[in-house]
Amino acid sequence: MTRAAPVVGCAACGKAIDCCEFCDRPDCPTAICYHCLGVALSQATPELHDHGG
Amino acid sequence: MGFTQVYDYVAGKLDWLAAGGPIEGTSAGRPRAGEVARGDVPTCGLDERLGEVQARVRAAGWDACVVVNQERVVLGLLRAKELAGDPASRIEAAMRPGPSTFRPHVPIAEMAHRMVDHDLENAPITTSDGRLVGLLRRTDALRTAHEPHQAEGDST
Repeated sequence: MTRAAPVVGCAACGKAIDCCEFCDRPDCPTAICYHCLGVALSQATPELHDHGG
Repeated sequence: MGFTQVYDYVAGKLDWLAAGGPIEGTSAGRPRAGEVARGDVPTCGLDERLGEVQARVRAAGWDACVVVNQERVVLGLLRAKELAGDPASRIEAAMRPGPSTFRPHVPIAEMAHRMVDHDLENAPITTSDGRLVGLLRRTDALRTAHEPHQAEGDST
């Protein structure tokens, strides 16, 4: 099985990807790769306590 | 310290959060995707026909359906575009396979912001092992993100 050629670049890191990891669209103007999306979502998640416990 | 029963959750706190486990703490009052996602979203299996599913989904007042297996692991998604396909086609052929899914602990404000940016109507929320928690609708995400909530006034 052949894989489609990458058509977009991640808006955060520039990596070539098949489609946006958030919306699955190959023509997404704000496409984001799996890695950058994971980092962004994890940074947006606050610790439960100030001390990180 | 007086604890008589102590457990070590080996998979770690993030895995607990991603599985939608109950949480406590100063940030626990912030709304998250898993609380806002609609667990009553219609579901269907791979072997059904699109026509049957279309009727069921419309009768329930939805415009989306999540394709799951017997363990409720998400296999695909039927949004409005896919639901408008040939009624005779099998779900496996009609669905959008392997959609991006998100964990229940992601803050609702982050999801709402990204769903607007990406013009995404809905997003499946699953546990880290892929089981359906519910479908997060953009309208619900935006409404909840803009509501005042418990943690907003916290100094943490």
